Amino acid sequence: MESQSDASTVSLTKSGPDRATGLKRKNGVARNHVKKDRGGGQSVRRQGFKLWMLIVPFIILSLIFSYLPLFGWVYAFFDYQPPIPLSESKFVGLQWFKMLVQNPAQLHTIAQVLINTFAMSGLGILTSIFPLFFAIGLNEIRTRWFKNLVQTLTTLPNFISWVLVYSVAFAMFSSTGMINQLLENLRLIAEPVKFLDSDSWTWIKMLLWSLWKGLGWGSIMYLASISGIDQELYEAAQVDGANRWQQILHVTVPQLMPTYMVLLMLSVSNFLNNGMDQYFVFQNAFNLKHIQVLDLYVYNIGMGNNSLSLATAISMLKSLVSVVLLISVNAISKRTRGESII
Amino acid sequence: MISRRKTVMSVAAAVSMAMMFAGCGAGGNSADQKDDGSMMTVTVYDDLANYQGVQKGWFAKLVKDKFNMKLNYISPNVAGGGSTLFDTRSAAGNLGDIIITGYGSGRGSKLVRAKLIDDMTPYLSGMSNIKKHKDATDALNRQIGQKSGVWAIPGSVSTRKPTVAGEGLEPTFGPYVRWDLYKAIGYPEINTLEDLLPVMKGMQDKARAESGDNSIYAMSLFKDWDGNMMNNVKQPACYYGYDEMGFVLAKADGSDFESITQKDGIYDRVLKFFNEAQRQGLVDPESTTQNYDTMNTKYKNGKVLFSFWPWLGQAAYNTNENRAAGKGFMIAPLKDQKIFSYGATPNGGTTMIALGSKARNKQRLVKFIDWLYSSEGVYDSGAQTGGAAGPKDLNWTVKDGKPVLTDFGSKVLNGGKANVPTKWGSGSYTDGISQLNFPTELVSDIDPGTGYSFNATLWPSEIEKANDSPLNKDWSEHMGGAKTTMEYLEKNKMIDIAPGATYVQPDEDSRISTLRGSVKTEIVNDSWKAVFAKSDDEFQKIVDGMRTQTDGLGMKQVLDFDMKNAKDQDKARKAIVREYSKSGADAASK
Repeated sequence: MESQSDASTVSLTKSGPDRATGLKRKNGVARNHVKKDRGGGQSVRRQGFKLWMLIVPFIILSLIFSYLPLFGWVYAFFDYQPPIPLSESKFVGLQWFKMLVQNPAQLHTIAQVLINTFAMSGLGILTSIFPLFFAIGLNEIRTRWFKNLVQTLTTLPNFISWVLVYSVAFAMFSSTGMINQLLENLRLIAEPVKFLDSDSWTWIKMLLWSLWKGLGWGSIMYLASISGIDQELYEAAQVDGANRWQQILHVTVPQLMPTYMVLLMLSVSNFLNNGMDQYFVFQNAFNLKHIQVLDLYVYNIGMGNNSLSLATAISMLKSLVSVVLLISVNAISKRTRGESII
Repeated sequence: MISRRKTVMSVAAAVSMAMMFAGCGAGGNSADQKDDGSMMTVTVYDDLANYQGVQKGWFAKLVKDKFNMKLNYISPNVAGGGSTLFDTRSAAGNLGDIIITGYGSGRGSKLVRAKLIDDMTPYLSGMSNIKKHKDATDALNRQIGQKSGVWAIPGSVSTRKPTVAGEGLEPTFGPYVRWDLYKAIGYPEINTLEDLLPVMKGMQDKARAESGDNSIYAMSLFKDWDGNMMNNVKQPACYYGYDEMGFVLAKADGSDFESITQKDGIYDRVLKFFNEAQRQGLVDPESTTQNYDTMNTKYKNGKVLFSFWPWLGQAAYNTNENRAAGKGFMIAPLKDQKIFSYGATPNGGTTMIALGSKARNKQRLVKFIDWLYSSEGVYDSGAQTGGAAGPKDLNWTVKDGKPVLTDFGSKVLNGGKANVPTKWGSGSYTDGISQLNFPTELVSDIDPGTGYSFNATLWPSEIEKANDSPLNKDWSEHMGGAKTTMEYLEKNKMIDIAPGATYVQPDEDSRISTLRGSVKTEIVNDSWKAVFAKSDDEFQKIVDGMRTQTDGLGMKQVLDFDMKNAKDQDKARKAIVREYSKSGADAASK
């Protein structure tokens, strides 16, 4: 009993000075380092190894999710027909790639798909300034409850899945939907307007849907940066006699530009990833020509037509286009800003 | 401190390793465990089912009482996405415990090669119902490239001659109209397909005027069953003896084989007919977006006036009450029709039932399959769209040596709703119907137990009762006294029976399948566009565009393949006719 309490006081007194001042503790740590280093390169290596171990989980994750899937490319070189496993499938070399270019009609389809992809992503990038304007507008609303209401209502659609968005769209815009019924009852139209099953303005319609869904969400980042703008800038502007409009133009917008540029870069890098769920739910026989983006085309070929090998070959096209995009953006960056990543 | 860091790191490493392997579920093989008779849930992969989930109601109780099993259906029809479900499940190595799927296009042989289905031979002792179909299982073996064993049993096996119609009272296809409205506009003559247009227009106007409901349309289309072509367009082609084989429409008697893109061919003609109907406002504008269920509800509510098939319009609308009021769908023959009819198939249809290789308690499963092929099984499981009479003692009994429907049976088989008695479980009869949707034996065949058909509508008592309703009486009067549709069609030589040879498409080269994929997308989409074209010019432009595009994609290669298959099928049909006429078919025709 006694000896135990003795030991505890000893340990307390020992650690006492260390705790008392940061300086001493620092010294202690430094001493430790020196001690270890004297042990030779082995301990440095061990330390390095430990630090390396810290990033191992992330390396493994990126291997699993970014590099391991590339193994799936081998399917493009086999005649894979489920349920026969790959190991028993026939190796066909470049057959599927040849098939992609074998006739003008096929090439034409692929060209159309790429045009759709570029058009929809392009429109998305062109309109990426909208959330910025929306955020500024929202920020100018002085009535707090109204501002919150608008923000909540515009952010909510982001959390609705595309399938549900489509069912809302269907309820409103189908040939017997709300809008058509309303127009018919008002005797404005004689027969229902085909909002969903026609191929007119497909790109614009899709753009509007994604704007409706993403506007509020996209403006959150800008609202955050607006609240981070130094109030002194506004005060200085007011002293200089700037009105509200001039404050927006000369303080808010320039201050938001860095954020905008970052988000723009991110969306450019996601150029080909315009997803497929939106287009998948909205596609039908009538608008397929202009709604089929690369991801959807791959899905339709692979899952819809059961040609998994060909779909793999086409999806490799995506990587090819991405590499071309990367190289060209890099070249532009090199020329204009003198910086490059490769 | 260091040791704690170590622990953290090893945990991190372990977690990441675990994540790495989490995706690769190890499938334990418990195939050879002893069956202790306890309750088991059987996964049924069923290409024919229109229901996903656990079987409910009286059929569930029946299966539980007999086999202590629950049936859990995996249904691609419900899940959607084409063959995605089949592909993913088969890639995972376990399709299901019981598998109901087509064996054409090489699927049967692939299932064997990929070891997804098992030979039932070791479990067959005492399974007399399966064994009695040895001819059919042997024929199936030939189709899937097996020399011996019982790998699967085909459905719709028949004991009748291949040259007699395999259907019951009604053909599979036919121009069925709302007879009450057809009567109201004075039974106009219909010489050919296009004459239906003014008839439908008259009926639609009449119906709308009577009810004041402008959502009534003569025709309603749907896209769920579009495959190589727009499914709805094929149906009127069947009124002229055609059926599909890939991109080919082939006549039942082998007298004509044409491509669906052929100019002025039958497909072209029907497209024009639909487009004309659409421009006259006879086609439901929701056609482009609705599914089968939505459309079926419209039939039930009397909002659609023309049915491509008896089993759609009649099943949905010809309830006892409606028939008593003289309302219902009846065939209004086109003078020049020659309706395609599927001959009875001694060797079964193109869908099979098989045993999953990873299943537990296989003996019990084989017993269940064997039961499905017994008379009782046919009555009980073939009642959904198959048309079997349903369970004995609930739906029917034997009176004076003849089967007759009970009041309950008469009600539920004619579209009425009723809850089953507690002895049979709970819930409504319709909800508890077998969702297998797999007729093991041809339902129009004769039950050796009663000497009458499995299909109650073919019983003398029922024919008599049916013809008692004002609807059937009126129809019969205008059909020269014919008692049933089949009788009328056979008497007037308006039916073209395709001999029931069991022919399935051989496995096709994957390049052909791939080409087929892009060509059929084009055909289906352009067909829809053509039907909804606003003018002749627009229609012609779309159809011409479809031809150029499909030619450009290389449709010819696929067409050559299909054409060969269509001709092989015709050869098989002729061969089975010869076989049966040689061997004195009487023995088999009982």
